Amino acid sequence: MENEHIVRRFDKNLEKIKSKTLEMGELVGAQVRDATAMWINHDADEVARIVALDLRVNGLHREVYERAEILIARRQPVASDLRRTLAPINIAGELERIGDHAKSAARRAFVFSRNRPDQKLFDTIVKMSSIVQVMLSEVLIAYDHSNIGQAAEVRMQDREIDALHQAVLKLVISALANVSGDEELVAGYVHLVLISRNLERVGDHIVNISRYVNQIVEGDDLKARE
Amino acid sequence: MDDPIITARDVSIFYGDKQAIFDVDMDILPNKVTAFIGPSGCGKSTFLRAINRMNDLIPICRMDGELRIGGQDIYAPEVDVVALRVQVGMVFQKPNPFPKSIFENVAYGLRIHKLATSRSELEDRVEWSLKSAGLWDEVADRLDQSGNSLSGGQQQRLCIARAIAVEPKVILMDEPASALDPIATAVVEELIDNLRKKYTIIIVTHSMQQAARISQRTAFFHLGNLVEFGDTKTIFTNPADERTQNYITGRIG
Repeated sequence: MENEHIVRRFDKNLEKIKSKTLEMGELVGAQVRDATAMWINHDADEVARIVALDLRVNGLHREVYERAEILIARRQPVASDLRRTLAPINIAGELERIGDHAKSAARRAFVFSRNRPDQKLFDTIVKMSSIVQVMLSEVLIAYDHSNIGQAAEVRMQDREIDALHQAVLKLVISALANVSGDEELVAGYVHLVLISRNLERVGDHIVNISRYVNQIVEGDDLKARE
Repeated sequence: MDDPIITARDVSIFYGDKQAIFDVDMDILPNKVTAFIGPSGCGKSTFLRAINRMNDLIPICRMDGELRIGGQDIYAPEVDVVALRVQVGMVFQKPNPFPKSIFENVAYGLRIHKLATSRSELEDRVEWSLKSAGLWDEVADRLDQSGNSLSGGQQQRLCIARAIAVEPKVILMDEPASALDPIATAVVEELIDNLRKKYTIIIVTHSMQQAARISQRTAFFHLGNLVEFGDTKTIFTNPADERTQNYITGRIG
């Protein structure tokens, strides 16, 4: 852990930016969790709640940006301080996109409420959701504790998400070959693919967050290097 | 990359029994602004003053090691210190114009070093120096007035004009803007950026932001050691040494 600043409020300002970003991460995690609960419980009415959470997420996003802006203007942070000020702006941006994907996936809950086209597909999607929820909470802990080892593990987990998404595509393609003519069923499969795609993108945004954690600690752009 | 204009090897400096600088190796590149930063008493000003042998004026001050400018060992016995200081000019924290006219302040060095052969050449050199220091337009119609009649920022630019009149290779600056308001500071910083095209500039500053703004290379001194020396961009975004990090971010070290 780094030493404290001589000006203690500097530490408090940086800590606040982080805690607001983490709070935003928790809300976004709740959005993903609620969306999944909706599919499992056949409950399409909770979309409104997830959309309402979005307002708070957007408010926190704005607050993270404003706090970072004020800190830069008042304290001219450099080196690790500068990274700890700039990275949350990017992390909050990624979180906001995750929230959007959760919202989008939640809106497709009707796919599961009317009929469940394929138990195996459904189980795969739920599995993807639980993995990204774990990844998200782990990446937030890695960010909180500047733990680059944990951040790297999160990036590894994303490979499983990518593999599951490919598996969904395969299952849907072969299923569609047998259901031509049943427009409702075809539509259901298409929505499933889109949900899977939402979750796959969530995984990618979490990977980006893990790279920002690395950047805060090491000061180098992992994406550029990889 | 250019060859260094100044090379320091194993430079140690002592005030009596007390060692102020420990075994410093440093290559300073031409036409760059190099900033020396570090807490008070870290040795940065002592090291700066070794570059034009200002420390010679302090009887108990002694230097070991080797300092070369353009290949010449400046502490070699045959070196004429006065001639050295023509090559290595200096600007101080507090503007210190001579109690003479603006014109004579700039002409002074040219006269004592006999660098102008005629009155018209002298006038040309003074005008060129004042223009290079960005002061000409403000003083052209009052060159006979006292240098002390100018504002602080103008006085500092007059001192810079005086330093560059004799066409040095290197200009040393010890906190040149710390007594100036932000506008005068900005004018001096812009001037430093222009001057580096022709000169090599080394500046000691306590303002981290100033070092970050105007220098291409930054050296961090701590307890007489050169802790880290590198591109300013790197020093202020990702310094290698924890002591540098603590200092520039204002942490308890």
